[in-house]
Amino acid sequence: MVLAALLVIPLLAAVAAFVARRRVEMEWINLVAAVLTLTFAVVLAGSTLQSGSVSAWGGLLYADALSALVVLLVSIVYAACAVYAVGYFRDDETNGVFDEDSDGVPAVDRLRKYYSLTPLFVCLMLLVPLSNNLGIMWVAIEGTTLASVFLVTFYGRPNSLEAAWKYAMIGGVGLSMGLFGTVLTYYSASLVMGTETLVGLNWSVLVTKAAQFDKTTMRLAFIFILMGYGTKAGIAPMHTWKPDVYSEAPVPVAAMLAAALLNCALYGLLRFFILTSRCLGPEFASQLLIIFGLLSMAVAVPFILVQKSFRRLLAYSSIDHGGIMVLGLAFGGPLGALGMLLHMTFHSITKPLLFFCAGNVQQHLKTDQFRQAKGGLIHAMPITGAVFLLTTLAVTGSPPFSLFQSEFTILRAAFDGHHILPAVLFVGFLVMIFAGFLIHIARLVLGEDPGTPHAQISDWKKYSLIGLGAVVVILGFWLPAPLFALVQSAARIVREVH
Amino acid sequence: MYFYQDPQFGERMITLMAAFVLVLQIAMVAQRWLVTNIRVFAAQSFLLASIAGTIAYYNHAPHIYIAAAMTFAVKVVFLPILMERLVAKIEIRQEIEPLINVPLSVLISGGLTMVGYVVAESFYHPEAGTTPATLGHNTLAVAISLFLIGFFMMINRRKALTQVLALLSLENGLFLAAISLTYGMPLIVEVGVFFDVLVATMVMGILVYRISETFDSMDVSKLRRLRG
Repeated sequence: MVLAALLVIPLLAAVAAFVARRRVEMEWINLVAAVLTLTFAVVLAGSTLQSGSVSAWGGLLYADALSALVVLLVSIVYAACAVYAVGYFRDDETNGVFDEDSDGVPAVDRLRKYYSLTPLFVCLMLLVPLSNNLGIMWVAIEGTTLASVFLVTFYGRPNSLEAAWKYAMIGGVGLSMGLFGTVLTYYSASLVMGTETLVGLNWSVLVTKAAQFDKTTMRLAFIFILMGYGTKAGIAPMHTWKPDVYSEAPVPVAAMLAAALLNCALYGLLRFFILTSRCLGPEFASQLLIIFGLLSMAVAVPFILVQKSFRRLLAYSSIDHGGIMVLGLAFGGPLGALGMLLHMTFHSITKPLLFFCAGNVQQHLKTDQFRQAKGGLIHAMPITGAVFLLTTLAVTGSPPFSLFQSEFTILRAAFDGHHILPAVLFVGFLVMIFAGFLIHIARLVLGEDPGTPHAQISDWKKYSLIGLGAVVVILGFWLPAPLFALVQSAARIVREVH
Repeated sequence: MYFYQDPQFGERMITLMAAFVLVLQIAMVAQRWLVTNIRVFAAQSFLLASIAGTIAYYNHAPHIYIAAAMTFAVKVVFLPILMERLVAKIEIRQEIEPLINVPLSVLISGGLTMVGYVVAESFYHPEAGTTPATLGHNTLAVAISLFLIGFFMMINRRKALTQVLALLSLENGLFLAAISLTYGMPLIVEVGVFFDVLVATMVMGILVYRISETFDSMDVSKLRRLRG
């Protein structure tokens, strides 16, 4: 029941927003759907903690602690973005963004596009962790791209078209590799289970028999899956779409792509990682992941150091965090998976806040270039400026914020697994990214008052900023026990050897 | 027993059609005109549907008939019509203008076909005997070559619509791989994949249209404002 509700609620919201007439109706539909989704996600997390796994629709939908964690994170991000979006688009309307390019589309129709595609996007993101069948999971991940392409082109500028084109093409090619990997996995499993079985791609069945799969095929399959879902997660060198898309999409969309969709793509990778390590032993997949994880962090460093636009800065930060999570998974051992999933949790809560701050600044200054922003923002926008600085510290993993704890856990996993060189590089990259990030944001926020007028920020934006900021600060000191239990049992699923 | 009921005959037919699929893929690399390219793609998809139908007939697997019917409806009829309309609507110059000239491109495609055969060889264990897919590894080799040549076409082309075509032919390779390895995926997955392909092509079609309106060109090498 819970599983079906999680998919049906956003779907209904998409339909309702599509037929709604007024802006206020669309906003409330989205808010109510977000709150309901979050409630059901919490219920699901509770029931997986109690009973291990839940399934519905004749085994088509399936959730264990790992799925429940991803579902919970997606719904948290959705809820935060739903609140922020109300203020963001209202301010856009007051600023006359929708009138500038007068291609005759009324503002309400543009907003309808956002408010009906977003729940659809969320529905597909939730289908990724909830589907038992790895083929359906692929269909859902591809679906998320298709649902979000037109969210990226929301502003209809030439640049956003360019970004959307890159997103669709690179995503399409990447996911075709993911599909090939899925086909190969099916083949490798069919040697054990026989074909023409409907359950032949079902996770709950596959995982119990993974040790008997054909090893050569599984090796090839994992390489394809890594390229495929790695593209979707923006792991270097398949990351090139990310900066364009994150800087051109409206802020709530970019936040959802960066904080929620990343989890879904990594979730796909995780499921196949588990199968591969059961089949071939952990070394093969780990070595590949270490290379790609370190490469992602390395690619992010120079682009963060010399970055000119703060929206693109966030995208490179997201590539960096994708690399960190992949590394956590690769280091393995008792702490690796735990560190990765903790990092995923903390990242999903911190990242949207960073996007919201950047969005506020961009809406006020009408630019995302550091040079044109002049600095000294704290005078014109005291709340946004302060939260921006705080979130920057949080997202770069400085203590006492929560991302420090997860990065430290990953580092310990590296030393436990005797990955000394990767561990040294990991720390080096983290320090350089921290320095680059802090210099940029400190220059933007601090300094003398350049005389920019005081910003009028709508209450929706203000409260989503303060609310989420409070959560980020609290998480640094206190992780609720049930949440930690959920992360732990999810990590156990990754590690457990049958 | 009629000659067409002999499984040997079926296998030969499939190998023959797979060979034609490969020939059409290389023809697509060599083709200069956009509309012809779309029609070559339709012909290739038709052969693919026939292969699926043949496999369904000889293995008594009704669910592959459905996959064959969907291939026919979506890739032979609907998408080519959609794309030809798009070409007519945006009135672009019809030539494809690849980055690498045609003779060299064909040569590269030949090389990629050889790579396909080498990779397919690793799946071939005649001594194991447990393999459910007794289809010749020829078909798989064709599928992998299709996949690789599709990639090459994506890189080699500038116009947005031709990139979409390359992506679709790459997807054809995947379909062939799936039916030659495992007689297709479970039906529900197959339906989902088809739906995605359909929606993806429509989404990209809309993007192509808007790009050509905004930039007065479909040349994606003009999309280079976002850097760094």
